[in-house]
Amino acid sequence: MGDFKFPYFFDYPPYFTLQPVQDTREKQMQLWKELILRYCQHHKCFIINLEQEFPLFQNLSIQRKLSFEAREVFLAALVAEGKAEWLDKAHKKCLVLWRSIQEWSEMILQLVRDNAMEDGVLTLDEIQSGDESRGTELAGIDRFVLVRALKLLEQRGKAAMFKGKAGDDEGVKFSAS
Amino acid sequence: MKRRPGISGLHSAAAARDQYRSVGENVARIRTDLLKDQLATFRTQLEEFARKHKHDIKKNPAFRAQFHEMCSKVGVDPLASNKGFWAELLGIGDFYYEIGVQIVEICLATRSHNGGLIDLNELCSMLSKKRRTSREPITTDDCLKAIDKLKVLGSGFEVFTVGKKKLVRSVPTELNKDHNQILELAEVRGFVLVEDVERALSWHPGRVIDALETLMKEGLVMIDDGHPDRKRRYWFPCVSLSSSNAEEL
Repeated sequence: MGDFKFPYFFDYPPYFTLQPVQDTREKQMQLWKELILRYCQHHKCFIINLEQEFPLFQNLSIQRKLSFEAREVFLAALVAEGKAEWLDKAHKKCLVLWRSIQEWSEMILQLVRDNAMEDGVLTLDEIQSGDESRGTELAGIDRFVLVRALKLLEQRGKAAMFKGKAGDDEGVKFSAS
Repeated sequence: MKRRPGISGLHSAAAARDQYRSVGENVARIRTDLLKDQLATFRTQLEEFARKHKHDIKKNPAFRAQFHEMCSKVGVDPLASNKGFWAELLGIGDFYYEIGVQIVEICLATRSHNGGLIDLNELCSMLSKKRRTSREPITTDDCLKAIDKLKVLGSGFEVFTVGKKKLVRSVPTELNKDHNQILELAEVRGFVLVEDVERALSWHPGRVIDALETLMKEGLVMIDDGHPDRKRRYWFPCVSLSSSNAEEL
């Protein structure tokens, strides 16, 4: 996949401190929001837990890390933009939607078409890590996100999820032709 | 026979004076004519020179600088008009116009990072990176000339010196003496601590904070509270040592 390329501001210490001046703060937020999305997409990271260390929020080479408050501010900004969602009321866990649920559902449809499975059946596991999704962006998708995307397809009448027999994985029947 | 200053003598004197005067005028006129001729010749020769060395003038910055000096010595400004003879002949007007536009682009793009102040060398290096595909190298001298042209357009561009650095200002904010002094201190490491300024300039902490806060409001300074020693640092993006910003453009 290639090494992740950090932007210039990541090596500039002041960007790790929440700036008090409005204009400067806005610029700072914009830079961090973009970085968070890009980083998560590159590393296929869907959830950021504020109570745990997240490698993106510190730069050891300049001895700086984002404060808890700063991380919350940046993630809240992503949420406000619809590019992320809080998974809990306490705002400690954040789902990062570097692709929207809508986009994920489109990708699933594409996968279905590419594999001539318009009337076929797949288990969720297969979508996440099976042969069909290998090499596509769907590979490694978070289960929670996958279910949300499939629910969207259900609403459109393109799919129907079902629970497997005891021990079996959940599956989905497509009606996408 | 004695010579007496008679009327005729006076007449002769007057006539002589007239004659001298007209000769004098002639001489002056001849001198002016000569000068005009000389200048015309010189100008023709300069034009010949420019024609012959057009390629070198465009490609070689040192040669270009010397050519400009030569022109200014005889009061000829090759940049005077974008559509003038010189611009046509050398395409120089376009060259500086092009650089000017790119300088404005760079200043605008970096403004939110450095508040509208940028180190001349950093600007020049970003300009070079931007013009990577062009075959003509750019010097700080070229940048300064282009900025001069920009000034004529009333675009608020100004170059000023602080300590060892030349900074290009692309916003109307002017720095006062206090600000300049702090800026100069910041050149050493890219940032200052309040105690540094107090010590170096023998100022009250109040005066230091005031100046720093104004600079912050102008977008020229960012705070940094993350150092292990817990002391707040005030960073000046405009005197930062990195030119990796260029990658972002």
